[in-house]
Amino acid sequence: MHKKIMYICVVMSNSKLYKGSLNTIILKLLNEQDKMYGYEITQKVKELTKGELKITEGALYPALHKLEAQGLLDVEVAKVDNRLRKYYKLTENGTKETANKLEELAEYIKTMQTLVNPKLA
Amino acid sequence: MKLTESQIQDLYAFTRKHFVEHYDLQTELVDHLANDIETMWQDKPKLSFEDARDKAFKKFGIFGFMEAIEQKSKAMNKRYMRYFWSELKLWFRVPQILATLSLFCVFYLSFSSSYMGVLSVVFYVVIAIWSIYKSIQLNRHFRGRKEKSNKKWLLEEMIYKQAGGTTLLFMSQIYTVFIISDNFSGNALAILFFAIIFTLLTLFNYISFELIPNKAEDLLNETYPEFSL
Repeated sequence: MHKKIMYICVVMSNSKLYKGSLNTIILKLLNEQDKMYGYEITQKVKELTKGELKITEGALYPALHKLEAQGLLDVEVAKVDNRLRKYYKLTENGTKETANKLEELAEYIKTMQTLVNPKLA
Repeated sequence: MKLTESQIQDLYAFTRKHFVEHYDLQTELVDHLANDIETMWQDKPKLSFEDARDKAFKKFGIFGFMEAIEQKSKAMNKRYMRYFWSELKLWFRVPQILATLSLFCVFYLSFSSSYMGVLSVVFYVVIAIWSIYKSIQLNRHFRGRKEKSNKKWLLEEMIYKQAGGTTLLFMSQIYTVFIISDNFSGNALAILFFAIIFTLLTLFNYISFELIPNKAEDLLNETYPEFSL
């Protein structure tokens, strides 16, 4: 199973297929962390995937703002060091949507596996 | 190593130079660049601030902050419309629905009279003049606020300036009103249509020029937790 996931990750980072899964990744991380700020999200993904998957800055903020506009994320601002930091956290709707998105992604990965590697599936 | 206050101010200027006009987005991007620069300094403490800043900016890709700006503006537009529709919905509930119905009746009865052609133009001009007057007033108010705080918020700009867009659209249709009012006088369906359109136009303009700007402080505080910081 672990191998399968690594395989998908490598495919995604190479061909930027992850773009469609970006929202799911953000929601999933916030589901586990309570609240996070933009830079923290990019670092966390890098750390979890050991550098295989890098969320680009140019894609992260548009995705965060879109999710906020959809009412899935809420914001909080705090003064950290000598600057303001914007934190994102899931709303009630966001929590529900996370479960849906994860299910969709799992289904997608399963389908992809039957296509790219029928033996494994 | 941490960034100094003047380096933070330099990052604000840097985002402005790269077309990020609004303070809300500037703040988020400044924090991002600052975090990235501080992380780089952990490995390369001798890297200059300017080089680290440029390296951090490069990670945003060839379009720089453009995509973030575009998406932010789309998202805020959505939020503005949500405020607008929730205000509009109130006018179809008790007790405001009585005012809406009265307004509709005034338009309906006026257009049923033989002066439909003249009255439609009169109403149109009155609404248009009031809208232009309010639009100028709100614009002046917005400039005053900006000079005082030296910050521009995206939602604030939408509240005080977007309303002006509706007026322009409204004014551009004036010629059509002259044509329609001549052709359809006496036609029951046209009268009903005209009365509904005028009622809605009055409500739209009243909400965007009067009600939403009056609530600006509350809406801005709700949208931006950092607004009162």
